[in-house]
Amino acid sequence: MTTTEREPILELRNISKSYGSVNALTDVSFRAFAGEVIGLVGDNGAGKSSLIKTISGVHQPDAGEMIVDGVVRHWKSPHDAMEAGIETLYQDSGLAPDLTIGSNIFLGRELTRKGPLGKMGFLDQRTMERQALEELEKVGITVPLSKRTVSQLSGGQRQAVAIGRAAMWAKHVIILDEPTNHLGARQSLEVLKVIRAARDQGLCVLFISHTLPHVLEVTDRIIVLRLGRVVKDSPTSDYTVESLLGTITGLNS
Amino acid sequence: MPSKGSAVSTLETPAAPSNEAPRASTVRRLATYTTNQQFILFLVLVGVMIFFDLHNTRFFGTGEFTNLIFDFSSAVLIAVGEMYVITSGGIDLSVGSTIAVSTVVGAYAIQYLQNHHWGEFPSLLVGTFACAGVGAVVGIINALLITKARLVPFVATLATLSMGEGLALVFAKGGTVGYDLAAQNWGATGVWIFRWLTIIVLVITLVTGLVLHVTRYGRYNFAIGSNPFAARAAGINVNRHIASVYILSGVLAGLTGMIWYIQTGGGAPQNGIGFELEAIAAVVIGGVSLTGGVGRFSGVLLGVGILTVVHDGLVFINVATTWNEVVVAGFIALAAVLQSLSIGTRKR
Repeated sequence: MTTTEREPILELRNISKSYGSVNALTDVSFRAFAGEVIGLVGDNGAGKSSLIKTISGVHQPDAGEMIVDGVVRHWKSPHDAMEAGIETLYQDSGLAPDLTIGSNIFLGRELTRKGPLGKMGFLDQRTMERQALEELEKVGITVPLSKRTVSQLSGGQRQAVAIGRAAMWAKHVIILDEPTNHLGARQSLEVLKVIRAARDQGLCVLFISHTLPHVLEVTDRIIVLRLGRVVKDSPTSDYTVESLLGTITGLNS
Repeated sequence: MPSKGSAVSTLETPAAPSNEAPRASTVRRLATYTTNQQFILFLVLVGVMIFFDLHNTRFFGTGEFTNLIFDFSSAVLIAVGEMYVITSGGIDLSVGSTIAVSTVVGAYAIQYLQNHHWGEFPSLLVGTFACAGVGAVVGIINALLITKARLVPFVATLATLSMGEGLALVFAKGGTVGYDLAAQNWGATGVWIFRWLTIIVLVITLVTGLVLHVTRYGRYNFAIGSNPFAARAAGINVNRHIASVYILSGVLAGLTGMIWYIQTGGGAPQNGIGFELEAIAAVVIGGVSLTGGVGRFSGVLLGVGILTVVHDGLVFINVATTWNEVVVAGFIALAAVLQSLSIGTRKR
């Protein structure tokens, strides 16, 4: 999958982060390419959360550098990361259940009407609803009516819409934190389908999950973290559930 | 979700909608706009009006209808403010006592200006700004307590409720400030069944309703009330918005203080006391979810309408006003049942 001549869309070089005396991340380096799904796995406390918070601009690393699309970047806030084309879907954030699908897709980036009404903040709801449907279809999500509220969707559909939202706005990378958590088997498959569609659109997807079968199924490459360090970074075909579990726990590496 | 083994990735609706049929979607929008609950509320409003009219034919006489609309306008602004606050996920208990403080402060301002030979209209205008300013100050205090001191809205606004009640009495020194017959007379003038004051209030009401449902500001209000984490993740400045909502509620309560001044011709410190419950009742009857994120402006207007008609109607059919609260309680219970039924059909 990764050809050496290609420029990585996201590269981390020797990223370290500690909270007081706890070293959450030590010398983490990896390269991520467009059109690639990367699994980020590790036991609790391995540094997954610290790593995605660093990439998405919630935390600033103590050392090391981050290169996005060939440019060294330092985030001051999550907003910087979003502007640079990195969208993050956290477990707890998600969508506003009482708003329509279209309103959620455009939340924080509403389209306003043309002319003076638009300057006063009048929304162009019709265009938003239409574009939301089009964009969702691009990642294989069909919701006949974007005017439904998110609360009327199943858990899997909600998560699919949330990922579709991230994919729509991200220019380079989407980070998905446990997107298949709490979902049934069928609903998870739906979410995995959307992840593949986002990849096929040329995005780099960082997929964080504890559900190893999902990781093995959808990723092209798996990076294993243990105690804040990258212990293995190989194509997914190199792993089985057993060997992946062994690498995560460090019992047979 | 339904346990039917339907297709996973589609949400099939019986009538396949197409983007090429704007007419059909307009009908659909109208249909969703008038949810069952709104329609039932409308029937209830018409029902109570007919009920009172059957018991006293004077109820729909032009003069009384004017009074009715006026009473509606003196209650609608705080309900609107309360709706903004509640849909954003908070609650504002201080609107009643804000009416009291602002009406007293406004009365002092008008009295002072009139003693300095200002005309009636300019002094009323300055008094209006004084009332709105007092409301804004209360709103800012609420906003600071909630967004900076991180108090729960219920507790924060309970504090300003008590503060306002106390200050109104202290400022007024136990009595009523001013006796402004001219203001009262102006308040009774108007055109057809609308008093001037009523028209002004209805315009403010329509503008705030429009802002809530068709602008970005209103969209953020629902988003924050629905899921503040998602709103923050979407880049919305949640604290700033919440602060603005409490200030809006305060200003609308302050303006209501001015309405009461004109209505009664003076600033009485007991004006508006307890009206936060009327506002909350109107909002709840109107189908707004107390957990935030859900509600339609038209529902709140109907809620205020029902309460006003019941209020005035009971007087008209010679039922002791003490029964008012009992009847209102019945409507709140009815609204709550309707709401839980509609949530049930939305298969949350």
